[in-house]
Amino acid sequence: MKLIRPVVCSLVVAVTVAAPAFAALGGDATSVQADLVKMKGALRTTSSAAFTVHEITTSYGTVVREYLTPGDKVFAVSWRGPVIPDLRQMLGTYYGQYEQAASTPHVGGHRHLAIEQPGLVVQSSGRMRAFSGRAWAPDLLPQNFSANDIN
Amino acid sequence: MRKFVALALIQLGFLAACGGGGGYGGGGGTPPPPAMQVIATPGPPNVETMTVDSGPAGVNAVNTAYISVKVCVPGTSTCKTIDHIEVDTGSIGLRIMSSVLTTAPAITLPAETDGTNPLAECLQFADGTSWGSLAMADIQLPVSGETAANVNVQVIGDPLYPTVPTDCTGIPENTVAAFGANGILGVGPFIQDCGSACVAAVTPLTVYYSCPSPSTCAAANASLLEQVPNPVTLFGTDHNGVIVELPAVGSAGSTTTSGSLVFGIGTRTNNGLGAATVLPEDPSTGWISGTYKSTVYTNSYLDSGSNGNFFTDSSLTPCTSNPNFYCPASTMSETATLRGANGATLAADFSVANADTLFSITSYTAFSNLGGTNSNAMGFDLGLPFFYGHNVFTAIENAGTPGGIGPYFAY
Repeated sequence: MKLIRPVVCSLVVAVTVAAPAFAALGGDATSVQADLVKMKGALRTTSSAAFTVHEITTSYGTVVREYLTPGDKVFAVSWRGPVIPDLRQMLGTYYGQYEQAASTPHVGGHRHLAIEQPGLVVQSSGRMRAFSGRAWAPDLLPQNFSANDIN
Repeated sequence: MRKFVALALIQLGFLAACGGGGGYGGGGGTPPPPAMQVIATPGPPNVETMTVDSGPAGVNAVNTAYISVKVCVPGTSTCKTIDHIEVDTGSIGLRIMSSVLTTAPAITLPAETDGTNPLAECLQFADGTSWGSLAMADIQLPVSGETAANVNVQVIGDPLYPTVPTDCTGIPENTVAAFGANGILGVGPFIQDCGSACVAAVTPLTVYYSCPSPSTCAAANASLLEQVPNPVTLFGTDHNGVIVELPAVGSAGSTTTSGSLVFGIGTRTNNGLGAATVLPEDPSTGWISGTYKSTVYTNSYLDSGSNGNFFTDSSLTPCTSNPNFYCPASTMSETATLRGANGATLAADFSVANADTLFSITSYTAFSNLGGTNSNAMGFDLGLPFFYGHNVFTAIENAGTPGGIGPYFAY
């Protein structure tokens, strides 16, 4: 598989800490500002016609991205850095489903987790000080959007 | 020379694919072990016996290397030896499941405090989170006799701290069955598990917790000395790294295998680098780089705690029953070129067999040719399958060795 660069960045909208609101997977952008406040992060927003990416760089170095539809619905989240962010906050109402699915025995050991359910995909990998992961709701993906672009 | 060998293996793999050969190994087979692999004999002063088997009762582990560890109440002869502690070069610190400490003969280790309150930890793995109190122990490794005194260790699933804080998220792995071992000995490339990120954060990371009472633990900063250390760094000598030495495993797999966990790099006659090539790591992430089928993977590493070789290859068919693993029709021989931060390169040859076929012999626990998918598109994770037949060195950050300062991998 080739590395696919995100097709965003056609328009850089804002680079500011006084941020628009954030939300968990499945939530909308106007619901909470909790993520940014909690993560004490710096925000960068990139938009295209198809979707918007809010990127928070946390004080501890983990980069969190939230992908929103033009209708301001979070359809995907991702993280990369030394610490896994608060997944209850990232996955929102999907957290329970994640918890249930991931609790069944899996054979990938401590370094890799992949959950694929009808309404939810969660992937996590890495080891101490270097984690990455992403989650998305397949039902919410914009048309012609490839999950490979969540990174 | 190495390149020539790699090309020959690719050709063999191609022939095997064309022939559609059935059975184990096909033309790909098991990569030949390095001609000169010498596995150090277990015993004093620095070599521990390490075994790959199915793990504690009910776990059914594959490609998981275990040792026994003796823990003692500091300064006393009140001790307990615990078997099936996973050897993990991808994490840091000794962590023990509470249930094995409380099983008769029980041992109670004293709590570690921040001077006022007991400490606890929310330890993240990619697949889940282990919650438990921190305690102090003297560690003795029963075969080599290596010792470390007054070590901060985690007691996972401590029944005295049953309340997992709401900000400690992730799937709980607080039992032997959920964790897959009686404990874990993290002997990776760092001195502490968290390091500087947990020392003085404006908002404390949800890793270390201070507990005025067991139900009111709150995230707190922890000094480097309060953190859970790599026990190897506390040994009197042989404290600059480890070598995982496991023999080659045949293409069909094996019921069990055993080798040595060697402490120290170049500190004695039995732990020299020899002809191994040193691949320096990124000092903050522990990553090296790798190239596989013309794609560069910047998040590459060698890791005894990974039970497969995990990477992205769309030409390999994922299994239907275990989609995290690959199930090619015939065994494929593959090669990657690893690259250290100093530009040094090293060929990594491995094969990928059909995981469903491998797993069909349920008594087998060691597979040199188990491969799986990696959700990190930049990730190339050479796990325990790659370690069979190679002596893999993991040097610790800032530690001097004859091959330079850690962190680095070498084989």
